[in-house]
Amino acid sequence: MSEERVPCVEGLFSEENGVAVLHGSKCSNCQTPYFPRSAACHNPDCDDSNMEDFDFGGKGVLWSYSVADFPPPPPHKFDQPFVPYVMGVVDLDCGLRLIAQMVEKPEEVKVDAQVQLIIDTLYHEDGKALTTWKFKQI
Amino acid sequence: MREVAVIGVGMHRFGKTGDDIVGTKSVGELCRTAVDAALKDAGVKWKQIQAVAAASSRFSGGKGWGLNGNDVVEDLGSTGVPVYNMSAGCAAGGNAFNVGYSMVAGGVYDIMLVVGGEVMPKGMIQTSGVEEATDPEFLRQRCIGMPGPSFWSTLARRRMFEYGTTEEQFSQVAVKARQCSVHNPNARFQKAISLEDVMNSPYVSNPLRLFQICPVSNGAAAAIICSAEVARQFTSKPITVATSTVATMTFDDMLPRGLADPITDCPNLHTEAQNAVTSAFERSAIGPGDISFTELQDNTCYYELAFPEEWGLCKPGESERLLMAGETTPTGSMPINPSGGFVSFGEATTAMGVFQIAELTWQLRGQAGGRQVPDAKVGLAQTLGLGGNATAAILKR
Repeated sequence: MSEERVPCVEGLFSEENGVAVLHGSKCSNCQTPYFPRSAACHNPDCDDSNMEDFDFGGKGVLWSYSVADFPPPPPHKFDQPFVPYVMGVVDLDCGLRLIAQMVEKPEEVKVDAQVQLIIDTLYHEDGKALTTWKFKQI
Repeated sequence: MREVAVIGVGMHRFGKTGDDIVGTKSVGELCRTAVDAALKDAGVKWKQIQAVAAASSRFSGGKGWGLNGNDVVEDLGSTGVPVYNMSAGCAAGGNAFNVGYSMVAGGVYDIMLVVGGEVMPKGMIQTSGVEEATDPEFLRQRCIGMPGPSFWSTLARRRMFEYGTTEEQFSQVAVKARQCSVHNPNARFQKAISLEDVMNSPYVSNPLRLFQICPVSNGAAAAIICSAEVARQFTSKPITVATSTVATMTFDDMLPRGLADPITDCPNLHTEAQNAVTSAFERSAIGPGDISFTELQDNTCYYELAFPEEWGLCKPGESERLLMAGETTPTGSMPINPSGGFVSFGEATTAMGVFQIAELTWQLRGQAGGRQVPDAKVGLAQTLGLGGNATAAILKR
């Protein structure tokens, strides 16, 4: 029996037919993408903020990454025992520079690698797997 | 605009709660020491101060509302002077200096006190503490797990990719900083360390190690500023404020600050810092080539390599060569952080902008002892704070 999977924060993302989808928005006037959703366009050169819901995801290139070598303070949550993890900053083809954990170990990650957005487990609580968006090198 | 001068500076040596330097002193006690020293240095009496610009802290003092300037005034004696409490994260000390400078330059007051002090909580700096899905800091922590130092190590890793910077070169910045600190009686750490010491310190966030990241500290700094005319009553050698600027980030900034940002073609990662420094160059008509030395915000060694390039003090990709050739030491061609910097002091967040003004003043007076930049004529200072805040100041003799 597979464990119950629950988003770590509701409404930000979903997994549709195994594909990771981030729920953001886009200004239809200047095409600026936002994640999470934004109520207004923040582009000072845009004089007609017109926000529409927009889903993001897909592939991108790893701009850089860092490693959490020590357990971070609350409100961070992670499974015990703590295992150092990688956080990637990715330039997605859809126009967002997005931050997420990487599924790979620190020694496996390479700047400039092609990555895919996925949904994966972040930590466990009350018998459930709490999920978030992550990157996987391809 | 009137010319503004710095006529007195003071500092309480930086330390860590419980140590022999700051012990259990309150931020009020630390500020008192710094202000008394600055008044004495200037030859000014407390009752001659017409207004106070203070950095607001969310960590200590200020009656829980960041009213740190009011604490200082009550302690020194309530004279009824106007108090301006400035909040700008770690740029607050720089903001306070800018407000003081602007007030005196604009003729509102003739002589002011600028002060910043801090008693920091233990460990990594915590963010808002708000656990709501509308708070981007909370989302970043809960959905990704990105502690503060990760931000710096992401930048360091990118620099390694772009310019081939090595971990040894990041370490050499710390070695250079601590060599300066040996000659600074106000630094928390005053002992030189070797490249091996830095390389043997543990990773906090790979590729950055413990000795390459500034810890949090307790400390305070103060400056007495006045019009050039008033300065002549107190000293024949005032230090002139060529300019002081404040800036915030621009929309095209590509620093990963939240969960996601729109991709732009902006090459600059700290537009607030570049905007503040560039604006300082423009307003003062002093260019990067005129700067004798720089005190910049080195929360981590990465900044000593990246910032000089972003501001035109040297060419992109040139910092490592200058570092390894010793050009960023006090006697080199591009001295950076002769004070020892944040890496040697630790960050007493809101005190730092005023700490830099004190170091610039001592350097320009030729009072910096073993860390003195020979014949220092013009100094540049820069701070950076949460929220996309930055400040710059250029002082000259």
